[in-house]
Amino acid sequence: MSGRVLVVDDEVEMQRALRAGLSYHDFDVRAVGSGEEAIREATSWRPDVILLDLGLPGMDGFATLKALRPATRAAVIVVSVMPGEKDKVRALDAGADDYVVKPFGTEELVARIRAVLRRQADVPAGEPVIRSGDLEVDLAHRTVTVNGRVVRLTPTEYELLRYLALHAGKPVTHTTLLRQVWGDYAVGDKYNTRYVVAQIRKKLGDDSANPRYIVNEPGVGYRLEG
Amino acid sequence: MTRRLAPYALAIGGVIAVTAAIGLITSLASVPGLSAIYLLVVLWLGARWGRGPAVAGSIAAFLLYDFFFVPPVGTFTVRGPAEVLELIVLLAVALVTSQLAASLRRTRGGAEALARESRALYELATAALRSPEVTVALTMLSRRATELRSISRFSLVAVDSGHPSVLAGGEVSLEELKQAAWCHENGRPVGIAVRDGELKLMRTHPEAQSTPAYLPLASGVAVVGIEPATAAPDDLRMLTALIGLADLLLDRRRAALETERARGFEASDRLKAAILSSLSHELKSPIASLRAGLTALAAPQAGLLPEQRQLLIDLDGQATRLDRMVGDMLALSRLEAGVQLDKEPHRFADLVGSAVRQLRAELAGHDLAISVPDDLPPVEVDEMQVGRVLTNLLENALEWAPSQGAIEVGAAARNGVVEAWIENDGPPIATGDLDRVFDTFWTRRARGSGLGLAICKRVVEAHGGRISVENRRRGPRFTFTLPLAPITVAL
Repeated sequence: MSGRVLVVDDEVEMQRALRAGLSYHDFDVRAVGSGEEAIREATSWRPDVILLDLGLPGMDGFATLKALRPATRAAVIVVSVMPGEKDKVRALDAGADDYVVKPFGTEELVARIRAVLRRQADVPAGEPVIRSGDLEVDLAHRTVTVNGRVVRLTPTEYELLRYLALHAGKPVTHTTLLRQVWGDYAVGDKYNTRYVVAQIRKKLGDDSANPRYIVNEPGVGYRLEG
Repeated sequence: MTRRLAPYALAIGGVIAVTAAIGLITSLASVPGLSAIYLLVVLWLGARWGRGPAVAGSIAAFLLYDFFFVPPVGTFTVRGPAEVLELIVLLAVALVTSQLAASLRRTRGGAEALARESRALYELATAALRSPEVTVALTMLSRRATELRSISRFSLVAVDSGHPSVLAGGEVSLEELKQAAWCHENGRPVGIAVRDGELKLMRTHPEAQSTPAYLPLASGVAVVGIEPATAAPDDLRMLTALIGLADLLLDRRRAALETERARGFEASDRLKAAILSSLSHELKSPIASLRAGLTALAAPQAGLLPEQRQLLIDLDGQATRLDRMVGDMLALSRLEAGVQLDKEPHRFADLVGSAVRQLRAELAGHDLAISVPDDLPPVEVDEMQVGRVLTNLLENALEWAPSQGAIEVGAAARNGVVEAWIENDGPPIATGDLDRVFDTFWTRRARGSGLGLAICKRVVEAHGGRISVENRRRGPRFTFTLPLAPITVAL
């Protein structure tokens, strides 16, 4: 068994398809059709990953997400048809770990689930060195190297990269980065993050037009490749 | 009758009174030239009552003077040239003064009539322009026109895209409506015409008098029943002014209609986008279940035969295509409804990076070259929309470039804009098709939706840019421009 996945979707066809598809990839799957059931299952069955559809009848996805967060340590992947960028940001800020846009293929979904599970496993291990390709961020010594070559970053640049590295593989919103790196007063000034990310990329020898380490999440923020 | 005779009675009475006065004066003292007093009376008669009474007065004065004061007294005998001269002078004074007075009166009467007309027109125009309902104003105008003696009817017909309808002035028969529409369509008046600001009657044969005249205006037709025999110049002048006012009001009505229609279109565009948005949602949900189910079964672990798996993969490709078409249609309708752009300064390289990443699996089999200079100034764009332009153009390049073929993405700052291009080494686009590739639903591919490039064009134009395509030596190149961000932004 590679993990327990709770599917929260009001469409029976979707539930069946995901139950079958995910079980072929050795996941243990349960499916429910409402937010209330999701909260019940989250506390009693203790899934590792929850696939939460935002368009639930009754208690909607955002309300469910809010109620789920204190109840479970499971990673939450938000699933939605035609989400606006604001919906994605709102879900991430409310504690979602990732989002997947419907329609999706099973392979893509499995890859996302494995990525959040990997991150979950990494965090408690307290791994002091985070790797993204040949980029290494050594949290204990506050050093950054690319292919063994030391990269000198300003404190702001390091803080931003550190935060992305701590959440490697997860999309981090502009708002979160601004709050974490600059403080609450800077929230809303996205040029800061864009400018600093451009500087970091330059120092890492990365190409903005085809980045290897820090990738854009259009309309949302950035993600450090896991 | 008495009214017309009264001035003559006054003339005779006045002359008798003067004669009595002269008699009284001559009985007291001998005063020469007293006959001049008659001039006063004749002058007054001419100025006040016109030529007839003045002439009557002067003849009566001459006779009475001759009879009572010219010797031999008691006879009408005229003796010598002095008396004849006196008579001629009296008559001449009578004629000249009455003539002068009459022309004065005519001028004054004309001025008063003009003032009255102007006043009436002014009041009508103010009332008409103030009234929110153009038809109410037109009805007032039509009523005013039929108050003119020679105007039996005055109807206003609007012609909206070839369809005539009566706006004011009562019944207009079907035949007359047809005639009005014809006049409007051909710009040909019937019966009356306005030339150099003056109304001209163009009646030719008398039996035509029972039918109205038609005067085409900018946005309608005036249908006028007019009696040429009694049509005084004053009436025609007033009619001309009223027609001018009607012309203005009909124009105003059409302008109002057009504004309303434009507003309606805008609202219906928004409604269409809203309906399509909800429809897209409804369409995408079943596609989502389809794709999840098809791809689940396509996994090797599902234990199907290779040909069965291939079939599922093909079907999933079709479902994906359907999904993209729904998305494209929604995007296009939102753009047509005038989507709000969320413009912010961005590095163009970042936008390319997002698009390339989104298509990295598809691009893996091609030779991708990106040449975006490091010091390219930031652009002021909607990230999501321009991202769509880039992915659509990249998908188009992927479609046409041969496998392992070259795709080039480039950008440069030129003439205050950023000019970007995407080129592939696929076959050239037929010269005749170069203008059409951005048309909605036009596609070179049998399976294309014809929406991708149309969306690109709308997005680029919504940003105030231009998009074009040309055949370079290597293959087709799409070029588009984006606005620069204000220079204060450092990115």
